[in-house]
Amino acid sequence: MLSSPKGIAIAVFLLAVALISVAGGALGAAFGGGFIGGAVPLILIPAELVTYIGDYQLTNTAVMFFAALLVLVVLTWLATRKLSEVPGRWQSLMEVMYEFFIGLAESTSGKAGRIFLPVATAIFLVVLFSNWLGVVPVVGTIGRVETTQEFFFHKFEKKLEENHAEALLDGLHHDVGKNGEGLGHFIESHADDKDLQKYLGKTMETYGEERFVVFDGGGVRILPLGRGEDYKLSLIDIVAYDVEDPVHPTAADVVKIAQRVDGSVAPGVTPSTEFYSANPGEYAGMEGKRVGLLVPYLRGSSTDLNMTLAIAIFAMVSVQFWGIKTLGVWGYWDKFVGNPFKRNPIDLFVGILELVGEFIKVISFTFRLFGNMFAGEILLIAMGFLFPLIGMIPFIGLELFVGFIQAIIFSVLTLMFGAFAIMPHHHPEGDHHEGEGH
Amino acid sequence: MDALGIDLPRLLTFLVGFTVIAVFLRMFLYGPIIRMLDQRADRIRDSLEAAENARAEAASSAERVEQELANARREGQELIAEARDAAGRLREQEAERTRAQVEEMLDRAREEIRRERSAAVEEVRSEFAGIAILAAERIVEQSLDESAHRELIDRVLEEGLDARNN
Repeated sequence: MLSSPKGIAIAVFLLAVALISVAGGALGAAFGGGFIGGAVPLILIPAELVTYIGDYQLTNTAVMFFAALLVLVVLTWLATRKLSEVPGRWQSLMEVMYEFFIGLAESTSGKAGRIFLPVATAIFLVVLFSNWLGVVPVVGTIGRVETTQEFFFHKFEKKLEENHAEALLDGLHHDVGKNGEGLGHFIESHADDKDLQKYLGKTMETYGEERFVVFDGGGVRILPLGRGEDYKLSLIDIVAYDVEDPVHPTAADVVKIAQRVDGSVAPGVTPSTEFYSANPGEYAGMEGKRVGLLVPYLRGSSTDLNMTLAIAIFAMVSVQFWGIKTLGVWGYWDKFVGNPFKRNPIDLFVGILELVGEFIKVISFTFRLFGNMFAGEILLIAMGFLFPLIGMIPFIGLELFVGFIQAIIFSVLTLMFGAFAIMPHHHPEGDHHEGEGH
Repeated sequence: MDALGIDLPRLLTFLVGFTVIAVFLRMFLYGPIIRMLDQRADRIRDSLEAAENARAEAASSAERVEQELANARREGQELIAEARDAAGRLREQEAERTRAQVEEMLDRAREEIRRERSAAVEEVRSEFAGIAILAAERIVEQSLDESAHRELIDRVLEEGLDARNN
């Protein structure tokens, strides 16, 4: 390869990219480099809000979920538009997938195993494409800047809901828009309210250290190149830098906080230089910039617990349905508890454990998929941060593989749980006589 | 729950979305493809059976042909044997007939010969008688001794017949 000029050119190019990547990334930043190091986006477990549709909150994971469903609809169209006994490419692909599951179902439960297939294969396809779409490069890097006002508003709203502060919540919903417009005014006008001071303090306490990235402006953003860490501010720095004790604010503190909230974030309003005066050296040169969080428009839907929980619930409800359909209500109940007075105590205990296990399975399903995919997303972000340009490449391959494996695990486990569910209960030897009464 | 971002409207979004796509896939992907797979499995099973039948048929027909050939061969053999027998019999018959004819011809020839000989003897005898009479006449001319004459005549006759018989 190195013998031809072309080969040498390619090698030099790759070496240069690698050097730029190492020197320009977070690693290089420690030695005065880091010129293309991206800001680390805020990593949040809950899905970020993209927009409101009426009162409904459209999250970025929901957007990707619908995208995955759309892909499946297209796939269905491709696979079935020229359905024939001599299959085309897409049809073959789907047939291979279905045959894998048919083989699995029939090897565990015989012909009866076919009832698992529609659900198990739907889970496989949905999870697979949700996982894979989350790895597509643009996903997670294009987004909107969530203003501190908006961020603060949602946190404050949640705090009030948690503490059942109905009166304040009503006032908040009445006076403040969905994206937090006028929040500062609302806080200022309720400055004397002890409840507000208390919950405001709790909010500052909980979210005060949340870091915000400084941006040049609003609108659609690509994750900015720049010195990530240096450009981050905590909520306390932004909102309450001159408040003595943000956890227990006084009425005067509340007014200060309200001024910061409105002044720093109202669209089009340039924060005053005074705003940074608490740490003038640290925040020099940031006047006139927007402070906020980058909220990606798109995020792999399997990194949202709501999605994994929804599918886990669907899967386990299906499993119970198959069990009851095959064994009857009593027959299925008999697998677990049966008649508690006729069963020996150890079996009864085991049965109750198994019953609880059915609910635990929902949780294990939920967190297995979520954990794997969320970790993968963070891994990609971290690699993009450490080694921009090239760091992600091997891990994208890895994530595609993990996504596939997780889809297989989810669907095959559903199928296996189904196979267990339709197996009739066998009474152990000692219990046999008592079991006859059923 | 708040820290994990789980809330009901979002959960329902995914639950409803998943249910809808599961039903959609069941109707438009799983259904048609499974139908197609089963159809193809049936078709293959049928083809295999047909091939098996054809093979069995071919085998049995080959056997039949074989058997027929053997039959034909045996029949041919039999025919040949029969023909050979018939030919043998015919030849024997013919030989028999020929022998009989020859016998008959021989018999007839013998009969003829015997007849001719008796005729010849008769003729000779009558000729001898004439000769004898002639001789007698001659003798008589010389001497009329009756007894001598008779003896002479018989002797002549005797001689003549013996000569004839030998």
